Amino acid sequence: MPSDLDVIIAGGGRVGFQTATILADRGHDVTIVERDERVVDGIADEWVATVIEGDATDPGIVEQAGIERADVVAALTGESGLNLAVCLAAAELNPEIRTVARIDSASDEAYTRFVDAVLFPERAGARLAANQIIGSDVQTLADTTGDLDIMLVRVAEGAPAAGKQLTEVRFPAGTLVISDEEGNSISRPDTELAAGSRYLVAVEPDVVDEVMNLLQG
Amino acid sequence: MSSQTRSPNAELGLLDATMIGMGAMIGAGIFVLTGLAAQIAGPAAIVVFALNGVVTAFTGLSYAELAASIPKSGGGYAFVREIFDDLSSFIMGWMLWFAYMIAGALYALGFAPNFLELLHVYGVVAPPDQVGALAVPVVDAAVPVAFLLAFVAVLALVALNAVSTAASGSAETVFTIVKVSILVVFVAFGLTSPMFSGAEFQPLFSEAGGAAAVLPAMGLTFIAFEGYDLITTVTEEVQNPRENIPKAIFISLAATVVVYLAVVTVAIGTLGAEGLADAGEAGIAAAATSFMPTGLPVIRNGGALIVFGAVFSTLTALNAVVIASSRVAFSMGREEQLLPSFGQLHHRYGTPFVAILASAVVMLGSVALPTQSAGNMSSLFFLLSFVIVNVAVIRLRRERPDMNRPYEMPLYPVPPLVGIGLNLVLTVVLVEYLIRTDPLALGLSVGWILLGGVAYLLLDRAGNRPEPGPSTGSEMTPGGED
Repeated sequence: MPSDLDVIIAGGGRVGFQTATILADRGHDVTIVERDERVVDGIADEWVATVIEGDATDPGIVEQAGIERADVVAALTGESGLNLAVCLAAAELNPEIRTVARIDSASDEAYTRFVDAVLFPERAGARLAANQIIGSDVQTLADTTGDLDIMLVRVAEGAPAAGKQLTEVRFPAGTLVISDEEGNSISRPDTELAAGSRYLVAVEPDVVDEVMNLLQG
Repeated sequence: MSSQTRSPNAELGLLDATMIGMGAMIGAGIFVLTGLAAQIAGPAAIVVFALNGVVTAFTGLSYAELAASIPKSGGGYAFVREIFDDLSSFIMGWMLWFAYMIAGALYALGFAPNFLELLHVYGVVAPPDQVGALAVPVVDAAVPVAFLLAFVAVLALVALNAVSTAASGSAETVFTIVKVSILVVFVAFGLTSPMFSGAEFQPLFSEAGGAAAVLPAMGLTFIAFEGYDLITTVTEEVQNPRENIPKAIFISLAATVVVYLAVVTVAIGTLGAEGLADAGEAGIAAAATSFMPTGLPVIRNGGALIVFGAVFSTLTALNAVVIASSRVAFSMGREEQLLPSFGQLHHRYGTPFVAILASAVVMLGSVALPTQSAGNMSSLFFLLSFVIVNVAVIRLRRERPDMNRPYEMPLYPVPPLVGIGLNLVLTVVLVEYLIRTDPLALGLSVGWILLGGVAYLLLDRAGNRPEPGPSTGSEMTPGGED
């Protein structure tokens, strides 16, 4: 299990940039390919990823992004057809690569024949909208969090914290392990972080990288 | 939603970033190496520091371009890792790791005589040259006190860093201001002292070596200018990094050169090149004791202030390179170029424990080296890694022409080519000098490279980089060039 992924994101717009930011916080290497010069400047100011300026369907540009070494390519522009083309080209250049395409309709099945995973941001957006409309009593995880990340994390075999009790592990300030191993009660000081089990963890963005290191190695 | 949260504490301004760079450069190097440079080059030690500033400036341009366009807080190794294949980046990391570890030994070795000088100023011990060896009764062997002090200093700082996460960058700013202030006091008193009015800089070049002696002295003191690498490791916390990082690199380098020249000029003007050479690692401290006023309250002796500055500088610099060396090893572990355990935080201490311990072993072993050998070896490896950084800039421009570069160096490709040329010249001179005077240092350097080759092959064979996709096709030549 590679702890740090080398990710190429095609499209540095809202979805692409937010995704890059979250991945970079978790310690992954991100390269963004973006066509629009003004968007490129905006990303450069935030200093989250290397940026290649150009069209992601151009093989020369994708090669500059380091496609041979990348673990994942995520095509996150607003055009499904373009995203599909980027993923297909990427898989051609690097057969081992994992491909993720953003689509603009709910018809997942049509695409999953060609790419490893699809996402439909509007569905997540709709969930958030429903949350806001109903009010604050019941919310899905994605929206309770503000700047916090609340994540389900599987403890990796051989990770520094694997097999240790919570009291033995010094998590950085800004971390809270919420659930126990089975996920049906709140963690206690003697809760053991068993390798292979999943835990609900709340983390502030600055320290996600460190927490991931402890839990995933 | 988690917008704009990546750098909530992007609070270091241009001043802080500059101070971090200056803090790393102004410190141990000037205190420890001035005497040794004077020993080789005579009064031309002034020229040595000036020229080294010029040589480093070219690589500074490359660092600025890379740091602005590759958003990774890892310094030289991170940049090279982004661009080169497995073997080249491994070698870069391996060399940089060693350079920092040996620098740690160098600073520890510089700390010891200055600390003895401090004790001497307060009358606790005899003058440093009369503090002999500490007899160890049982094994009937004598361990030099200076060696013991250096060993203990490394041990203490390693222990500190192994069990607790490091102090923040703001402490660094305070440290730097303290160090620079002390040097300013030194320069001010030196310039006005009667000793300086009769200063004699002639003949500029020592009789033994002539003008050619400047080059090996440059090789030895090159390490003093290595510090701006540290600026690129905090980029994430700097406001508007694409403007401020290049600026911080250039300002800190320029300011450092000015301070160095003033200090070296005063030291040579007062104590004379020979006096400096005799004092060796405690050269600046000895110069200070010679002209600073005495009979003051509390600090008794004005020289004590400077000597304190030397002790303080060597210790803070030692602390910085303990962190820097372990960080390189940690990054290499993360990239699976060393054993994965190097890239893991300790579950109890939250520090890169294994990386720190491994660095400590080499540092503690190196404390047995003569100071000059440590300086030479560290400089040698910094020179080589700077060559790679310059090559990286050229290669990145050719292979990724469309990469966004918020800062582009002027007159490309002249600066990196000049940088490569000058660094290689110094490397050759240094190697030639080592062959003549210090085969031990050269042998150890070659040994480290060979050890690296063995480690690389073993890790490769052990399938340390087993991931199916990413690194099997290790040759990355997108542009079809090599």
